[in-house]
Amino acid sequence: MKLLIRIRAAVINGLRELRANKVRSLLSMSGIILGVASLVAMVTVVQGMVGNFRQFVDAMGGIEKITVEKQALPKEQEHLAELSEGLTLRDVEQIKATIPIVRYVSPEARVGFEKLVWEGREVNTMINGVTPDYLPVAKRWVDPSQGRFISDLDILHKTDVCVLGSSIVAELFPPNVDPLGKVIRVKGKRFVVIGLLNNIEAQGMEIRSASGKGKGGGGMWRWRNSGVYIPISTATSKFNGNDRLSGLGLQVASGDDLNYAVEQVERTLLQTHNGLKDFTLTTNEQTLEDFRKTEVAFKLSLGGVAGISLFIGGIGIMNVMLASINERIREIGVRKAVGARGSDLFLQFLSEAAVISVLGGLIGLVVSMGIVSIMNYVLMQAVPTGVVSKFDWIIMVQGLSFSVVVGLIAGVYPAIRAASLDPIEALRHE
Amino acid sequence: MASLATIRGLHKAYVMGDETVHALDGVDLNFDRGEYIAILGPSGSGKSTLMHILGFMDTPTKGSILFEGEEVSDLSADRRAWYRSNRVGFVFQSFNLLPRLSVLENVALPLLYREDFTEDAREEAAKIALERVGMSHRLTHRPTQLSGGERQRVAIARAIVARPAIVFADEPTGNLDVKNVDRILDLLGSLLAEGITVVVVTHDLSVAAKAKRVISMRAGQVQEDRRQ
Repeated sequence: MKLLIRIRAAVINGLRELRANKVRSLLSMSGIILGVASLVAMVTVVQGMVGNFRQFVDAMGGIEKITVEKQALPKEQEHLAELSEGLTLRDVEQIKATIPIVRYVSPEARVGFEKLVWEGREVNTMINGVTPDYLPVAKRWVDPSQGRFISDLDILHKTDVCVLGSSIVAELFPPNVDPLGKVIRVKGKRFVVIGLLNNIEAQGMEIRSASGKGKGGGGMWRWRNSGVYIPISTATSKFNGNDRLSGLGLQVASGDDLNYAVEQVERTLLQTHNGLKDFTLTTNEQTLEDFRKTEVAFKLSLGGVAGISLFIGGIGIMNVMLASINERIREIGVRKAVGARGSDLFLQFLSEAAVISVLGGLIGLVVSMGIVSIMNYVLMQAVPTGVVSKFDWIIMVQGLSFSVVVGLIAGVYPAIRAASLDPIEALRHE
Repeated sequence: MASLATIRGLHKAYVMGDETVHALDGVDLNFDRGEYIAILGPSGSGKSTLMHILGFMDTPTKGSILFEGEEVSDLSADRRAWYRSNRVGFVFQSFNLLPRLSVLENVALPLLYREDFTEDAREEAAKIALERVGMSHRLTHRPTQLSGGERQRVAIARAIVARPAIVFADEPTGNLDVKNVDRILDLLGSLLAEGITVVVVTHDLSVAAKAKRVISMRAGQVQEDRRQ
């Protein structure tokens, strides 16, 4: 308690000193202001970029996804093509039965790029036959207010139902029409709309649509929001006429098991395909690897910026504190003569350094907000689909704590000098 | 009168380069409570060193000091700081008031380092001390707004605010005009009534003449100890 009272008195004294020497205080804060501002701004912007990258990898199905696609046989095996049925639901069963680390298997039977018709309105899009596992593998969902997805019963009964991507809804239906329950036509067959997939643009991240490029935004998000999904059994029996699949999407329980899972899946499929490699396996691992490298590079450069900030800010404070002590040697002598202990003066000067660094840190936070706003503006001009960096209070608290630590470290040496001055010498100082 | 401090065989030596300077060279003295003492001597005579050691700013190389019955010749820095804030007051030639503090804050400064004084108690004690020296009308002024005589009165208030047993005044009139010299010396003399021992360190005979006892020093030794 007594220490708290002493600290309080020392901080009040520190503020008084700052007020008495405004220009000098501002100069001594400049290092901390720039350090904290650049640090917080950099971390915020880099977090925005990292967030963008994570979303990108997620949009590709995440790091746990394995994609299996058909592949033409090499020339020397072409005459053996009859031996393999290609990708079928038997492969799905086999993978599910033998490889437990594969959590979901989502077979896809592509019907093709077809015309949808509703009351004279038309739109062309990809028709996919899928199972309920499509949602977890693609990391998509159907909001409860937007109906439901394909169910196992739909597959069992080969029902004529469909789920639409959000951009198809926007193109096929007028804004005031609820698509749920409407009947659309695909290749002359009637399908009831039972659900709408989530819109990727509205997934919590602020992706700026390129203006003037048509409905539904541009780039990769455009095709992610398009498409019509029907039960896989309906696709194979009513459209394709065979049960061959166009591809499989697999989700592994953990990204760490990815390589092992790839080996297992390849071995299993080679068995079911009688040793013919008429399929190809791809993962997002290379993308992930690049992502990891980028993240490490960012962290290292941030560490460098943090180190330089620490150095500059600390030197600034120490320099000014030493100058201030030199100017106030006589004052230190007087304080000691009237009973101040070394620890009282240590506390007094350390508090002054702390006050400088806290105020500098606060000003730095305000400056960093300005920097991030400018960088956001520049980013949006350059990359219209870029993710906007958002302020995170944790980063700001960290930035401020960082400045306090710097201030305290930089203040220790000057404070020790003040505390150890001989009162007689100090009083003689002119 | 009751004894306040007794010093026996006090030595203080400084090493300056190859040379050892004996600032005090076997000093024996006794100070009573409520005495008005002048320590007289030219510069280098050891009078300031004696004041610093008796005022707990410095420690002797050799010898014993009994202060209020306790041996204090070898105290830690913190313990000496305790004596400075509780039992000793200083008045300096150049006042040594802190320019950024008000008169009231300057006087309350010694109590800032005492844990038995709250902020209100500090202010109250400072006001009483300022009233004692006739400076109650200048509480919020800065030292630069005061005349030399007023500043020294404020400095005396600061020296007595913690109710010390002894006040050291180091050339207290050195920076004052003639009119103020007497007023300050009279003010110092009036402290005796409160049982405070006043020690004026000076090289000015006329200042020393006001004291009841004059200790003349030369070359680190007491040359004469005379009551008048």
